Amino acid sequence: MHSAKPTDVLLSARVSVRYGEKPPVLHDVEVSIRRGEVFGLIGQSGSGKSTLAMTILGLLDRKKSQVEGTIQFEGSNLLQLRERELRELRGCKIALVLQSPLSSLNPALKIRTQLKEAWRAHASGSASDCDAAIRAAMESVSLPASDEFLKKHPSQMSVGQAQRVLIAMATLHRPALLLADEATSALDVITQAEILTLFRQLNRTTGMSILYISHDLASVAGICDRIAILHQGTIVEVGPTGEVMANPRHEYTQKLMAAIPQIMRPIATATAASL
Amino acid sequence: MRIGRATTWRGAACAVLLLVAGVSLAANWIAPEGYAKQYREAADAPPSHAHWLGTDEIGRDRFARVLYGTRISLLLAPAAALLSTLMAALIGGLSGYLGGAWSRAAMAVTDLFLSLPWLFLLITVRAVLPLNVSPLFSVLVTFLILGLLGWTSAARVLCATSATLRDSDFVRQARASGIGAVRLFWMHVLPNLKPVLYAQFWISIPAFILSEANLGILGLGVAEPMPSWGSLLKELEGLVSVGEEPWKLVPLILLAIVVTSFQFVLARQEEAAA
Repeated sequence: MHSAKPTDVLLSARVSVRYGEKPPVLHDVEVSIRRGEVFGLIGQSGSGKSTLAMTILGLLDRKKSQVEGTIQFEGSNLLQLRERELRELRGCKIALVLQSPLSSLNPALKIRTQLKEAWRAHASGSASDCDAAIRAAMESVSLPASDEFLKKHPSQMSVGQAQRVLIAMATLHRPALLLADEATSALDVITQAEILTLFRQLNRTTGMSILYISHDLASVAGICDRIAILHQGTIVEVGPTGEVMANPRHEYTQKLMAAIPQIMRPIATATAASL
Repeated sequence: MRIGRATTWRGAACAVLLLVAGVSLAANWIAPEGYAKQYREAADAPPSHAHWLGTDEIGRDRFARVLYGTRISLLLAPAAALLSTLMAALIGGLSGYLGGAWSRAAMAVTDLFLSLPWLFLLITVRAVLPLNVSPLFSVLVTFLILGLLGWTSAARVLCATSATLRDSDFVRQARASGIGAVRLFWMHVLPNLKPVLYAQFWISIPAFILSEANLGILGLGVAEPMPSWGSLLKELEGLVSVGEEPWKLVPLILLAIVVTSFQFVLARQEEAAA
């Protein structure tokens, strides 16, 4: 079990991103994620949330985008790393879980093959080492590690199972930081709650930091220690979840709070305050 | 009901192809005298007990030549189809995956090839090669040319498919797992191109059989005395009346049956690719 409230900074970013001659998608966005915390990034569609995740991983098309600033992660500026160095970080130190679980898994490959590929990207060892790692990852997300299950293709699974497989794949190498980009947006409410609990559990048991990106303030309230509100490419408010939700200062944050259904608001605020 | 009927036709087509391929592969046992032996005393003879389809104008057994010719066309057309499919995967699939200048350059070359009248190109390329080559060399060259020129249409489709796959969520997720570019193409893009590649392979076989037949009719296909469907069809050039010597039409009928059978099998592949 890891400490829930560490204070040392794992990732510190200050970036601007622009696609061609268009106005910047991210304008001097400053984000700081501490070790072991779940940090929420909230904003509406098109506000630049996913762009930030892709910038951290170096997955933006370098020819089409211009990135300025710094992203400090464990002593390195990620924006200055070469593709090879970034590849060594991806999946090993920083992992990603995307929004749509079924389209994020290769439809032509069995689950075992996809997990093996993710394992092989950063580890070398025998087949039994690989199987053991896959088994541990599957158990950590409460999925069966049986041959029967691992032989399935993505189309043979439910959305919730597919999202758990993605999380297992992302946490296979115990990354220091997990980027969850709208990871629960495509799920029904029950599955969403299960996945949020899983994220929180992984965070507590492994000490893995999570950048939880969402447009859904209510779901963020249930999991994040701190949140930042992203509006039109700029961070307009940042602070502990309970504080921001109880006392929203920026006009856009107030609008977001007002948009939470009345019945959910006390629950969301109470949950946030209890974190 | 329609599905059941289509399945029956496909089953029959597969059976026909297997039968033709099986019989042609057994040519050495069925016609041990070979395709080149001349029966000088029976030149241009009609069908008889000794020569089921008669003999050609220099006394070679037509049935034996049909058997050996079928074997050559049926074996080498899939080989050429495999070559063109691999080239399409390499040029189209890889360029689409790499994108940018690679994709533009590959598609410019593809468009250039597509804009050329390919039968004339085929004839030109084949005509550049000497005519007095050994029969085996001519067979290999003919089908090699077919394979090397037949990849263009599929390359375009594969380039577009590959570019779409490159930007797909599962490739992005795999990249985010730290998987390298070569492995990404091999394990994540290529398996998803399989349906298109299968269809390309099956489409190419009858197309190449017909192309070889066209080259053969023009005297640019497989060199004498080795038979192929093309060289067998060349015999029809001098046919004045179909009614008088209908047995000479057997290679043509066989070609029509085999190509039609491939079309029935192909329909299944296209459905699978769709």
